[in-house]
Amino acid sequence: MSEWVHVAELKELQRRRKKLVTAGDRPIALFLVDGEVYAIDDTCVHRERSLSKGTLLDGQVICPGHQWRFDPRTGHPEDQEGCLATYAVQVSEDGHVLVDPAPVSPRRETTPEAAAAAPAPNPAAR
Amino acid sequence: MTADPTLVVVGAGHVAASVARALRRRGFAGPVVLLGDEPVGPYQRPMLSKERLADGGDAGLWLLDPEWCAAHDVTLRTGSPVERISAGTAEVLLADGTSVPADLVVLATGGRPRRLPGVDGDRVHTIRTLADSDRLRERLAPGRRIGVLGGGFLGTEIAAAAVTRGAEAVLFDLDPVLLARALGSEIGSAVTALHRSRGVDLRLGRPVTGVHARPDGVDVLTGAGTETVDDLVVCIGIEPNTEVAVRSGLVVGNGVEVDAAGRTSIPTVFAAGDVAAHDHPRYGRVRVEHVDVAQQQAAAIAKTVAGTPAAFADPHWFWTDQFELNVQGLGLAAVRPGDEVVPRGDLAALDGTVFWLREGRLVAAASVERGEEISVARELIDLEVAVRAEQLADESVELDGLLELDGAGV
Ligand SMILES: Cc1cc2nc3c(=O)[nH]c(=O)nc-3n(C[C@H](O)[C@H](O)[C@H](O)COP(=O)(O)OP(=O)(O)OC[C@H]3O[C@@H](n4cnc5c(N)ncnc54)[C@H](O)[C@@H]3O)c2cc1C
Ligand code: FES
Repeated sequence: MSEWVHVAELKELQRRRKKLVTAGDRPIALFLVDGEVYAIDDTCVHRERSLSKGTLLDGQVICPGHQWRFDPRTGHPEDQEGCLATYAVQVSEDGHVLVDPAPVSPRRETTPEAAAAAPAPNPAAR
Repeated sequence: MTADPTLVVVGAGHVAASVARALRRRGFAGPVVLLGDEPVGPYQRPMLSKERLADGGDAGLWLLDPEWCAAHDVTLRTGSPVERISAGTAEVLLADGTSVPADLVVLATGGRPRRLPGVDGDRVHTIRTLADSDRLRERLAPGRRIGVLGGGFLGTEIAAAAVTRGAEAVLFDLDPVLLARALGSEIGSAVTALHRSRGVDLRLGRPVTGVHARPDGVDVLTGAGTETVDDLVVCIGIEPNTEVAVRSGLVVGNGVEVDAAGRTSIPTVFAAGDVAAHDHPRYGRVRVEHVDVAQQQAAAIAKTVAGTPAAFADPHWFWTDQFELNVQGLGLAAVRPGDEVVPRGDLAALDGTVFWLREGRLVAAASVERGEEISVARELIDLEVAVRAEQLADESVELDGLLELDGAGV
């Protein structure tokens, strides 16, 4: 069951094409790429810098921390380990942006050690 | 039909890990063998003066995991110092007298810290390996006074780690401002002020005239007198490890000389990383000591070896993290004395970027806490976008907007 949260207006994304929002207590970064809105974790899997402060170039999000490049569609960094969670987005006809705070694809820390330190939703899964 | 060639990397550090990954990504089918003299496989060297030194943790430390290596026919041999490459017989000779077949070789032996002649002992440190970092960490404890000789990236990171762990730090450098030679005086002054405010005892602008390591402390002599510390960390740069190259008959100057693609004077032997003096298409021959450069040179070599000739031509990029501060530099090897220096933001408040302009084009940038401006600077440099100093300095001008004005694809 999904719980859509109204987090922003589409017009707020028109100029800078990115915005930091909160849904279900999670900081989520929205990016507008080719007319589509994508939602990923705002907190970088590398050293926790804020991806909404980053730069959107050629449809990729570049983290300001150490220039890792993430695909906002998948949350995957190019040539690096780990992955950001992605979230489902709906844009209503009157331009409300809604996000479902339950991730579509999960966050994966850069190492098994870091993952062990983080609370795992399903410890039995491998 | 010929068998797939075997590629051997000499030195199992950052280059080796990147070469192995990039070769497999590009479909190189032959065996890949990494020969390293350290007791462990490749790891994140930058962490040795940052996270690892601060807390001893190993999250994110290892660059290759054994399962990946096994699944991808990558053989990692630790504790295996190499003597020389014998390109004529297509093999690499190890110090233990054995040999490994090698149709292609990537030489990536890195560098070793410069030392002060005659200054050694248990209280004198240099930091290049995991073992060095782990030994130093134990000394960074409350009640201990740690001397750091050299105020470059490594020295400033170590001083920051020392005070963060509750030790005292006293840092010596001939330059009056930390990091100014690498990053310019604006950022250098701001970082210097940060270190001073965090309690690092700065002894700048005076030469160190002598160092005496005694069993119970180390004396550091400057014109202003003698300072005694419990431990001294010597951070005065590295020397490239060129012995294998010399013994293999490669052309060596300040490092192993390679062309834009990373090829040495012997066509089947490449070199990359800290040991390589690269003929950079923009900058000419230059040897730099940055992880990203090592990785990108490695990636270019892998691409060439896998069948698509490639050169490394990007502006050099690096970062340093000290205290909670993130500093990044791009293209700084290109800066010339006459270039126009354009500050943006509030550097004194540790939030801004410095740009270097020449003839209306960006050549380099360095930022404090503004990595996003470095991302845009990279595009401005790559696409040779025409920019004016007023635009770069004006905080109301959005930098990525400069890319759009030029019609560049964003
Ligand atoms: C403490 C520290 C912090 C750093 N921080 C940063 C940073 O923040 N940002 C940045 O951009 N760069 C940083 N650097 C620089 C960066 O680590 C180097 O540029 C990078 O490691 C270069 O990779 P490489 O593969 O050329 O060399 P290395 O990673 O040094 O690997 C070379 C390997 O070859 C081995 N070797 C040498 N001779 C032989 C032989 N004869 N046989 C077998 N093996 C041999 C060496 O022991 C070593 O394991 C830092 C370096 C250090 C030491
Ligand atoms: S914090 Fe994002 S790349 Fe390092």
